[in-house]
Amino acid sequence: MQTSIEGGSAFAYINVDLEPGETVIAESNAMSSMASDLSINAKFNGGFFSGLAKAYLGGESLFVNHFTNNSSSTRRVTLVQSTPGNTRTIELNGQEFCLQPGAYIASTPGVSLGIKWAGLKSWFAREGLFKLTVSGQGTVWYGAYGGLLEKEVDGDYIVDTSHLVAYEPQMKLNIQLSGGLFSSFFGGEGFVTRLEGKGKIIIQTRSLSGLADWINPRLW
Amino acid sequence: MQIDITHRPGNSAAKVSLESGESITAEGGAMIAMSGHVQVETTTHKKDSGSILGALKRLVTGESLFLNHFTPNGGPGEVYFGTALSGDMMQYDLNGPGIMVQGGSYVASAPSVDMDIQWQGLGKTFFSGESMFLIHLSGQGPVIFNSFGAIYPIEVNGDYIVDTGHIVAFEETLNYEITKAGGSWLSSILGGEGLVCKFRGQGTVWCQSHNTGSFGAALGPMLKARG
Repeated sequence: MQTSIEGGSAFAYINVDLEPGETVIAESNAMSSMASDLSINAKFNGGFFSGLAKAYLGGESLFVNHFTNNSSSTRRVTLVQSTPGNTRTIELNGQEFCLQPGAYIASTPGVSLGIKWAGLKSWFAREGLFKLTVSGQGTVWYGAYGGLLEKEVDGDYIVDTSHLVAYEPQMKLNIQLSGGLFSSFFGGEGFVTRLEGKGKIIIQTRSLSGLADWINPRLW
Repeated sequence: MQIDITHRPGNSAAKVSLESGESITAEGGAMIAMSGHVQVETTTHKKDSGSILGALKRLVTGESLFLNHFTPNGGPGEVYFGTALSGDMMQYDLNGPGIMVQGGSYVASAPSVDMDIQWQGLGKTFFSGESMFLIHLSGQGPVIFNSFGAIYPIEVNGDYIVDTGHIVAFEETLNYEITKAGGSWLSSILGGEGLVCKFRGQGTVWCQSHNTGSFGAALGPMLKARG
């Protein structure tokens, strides 16, 4: 399998060249174009109940599509997320990674998607009650609205809620006010996420809810 | 006429430099800026031809009802065109077979280019959603179209599938049909891929990396209801 991320950091999209017999799995409606003889199979996102849980609790689609090359030569499928922005990969080799709802785009067949309780605090931070985890062996493609910033945290780090995209599972998340009561609400920062521990976190430089907050007062 | 596309791919704008008396036709609302001595004429059809039917057809394609014709008088001038969504633009020089441009992707064209709306048939348009209307451009001269996101070309030789929300334009030498994405209708609908466009033959399809429908579906639920 040969893959590449094209389109720069603003309009990233993924070209996946599948060899005969290979499969790539992608979230619902991620395909923009493909060779006509690739087979597509919609499957529950990790089994019926797990799929239901991910769809209604994790913000992911109920079904994922399996694109399989049953021909005798290389075939391409092009995949993209719903928002403009950057796309990156995580190489899993037995470890686990946590993704925020909606960040998952695609993965190779050795990767399993799971769902974990993220807590009420996460819900208050508008990050959802549950978090999506990816584990196993293989490649995961994930994306965000805006650019992606990678940060190695050792100790404490604060991220504006809705800007956190992915983090290693050992990171502890706490939701708190950004400052004092006055500065938190009048300074426009509101709630923030405090991450504690040692590990990697990924931040998006824009947020869709930020865009919505900007548009909403202009609608009437 | 000289066309330069600047600020690619995120914030692209097309700068069109015109000789005195030379015109360019553009979709209503596309002009960003222009020289002070450029005259604007607004019509519901191509300059010196067309009909009200053409205008109504354009309205259904998601284009503006009106076309603007920009002409500098008494010296050369320039016009800048932009679009609402961030993305790329490209210039295509017609010289031979025509091209089909997705409604909404058309920005501007030289007056020597002929423009017609292709009615896709009730079945095709009904099933494929709002934007599977196509503008047929033929004749000679430059055309400018835009995309949501980056543009990538696919050289079709045989069959190729493109999601209906990702088509920008294609050469009219290609045949196409609206069909299901997967092996079965059930799988296509459950998998969210819905309907796709299957191209057949030889020619180029220009795809946009992003899909306005998907972006709308992601952003829409966060917007407040209109009062």
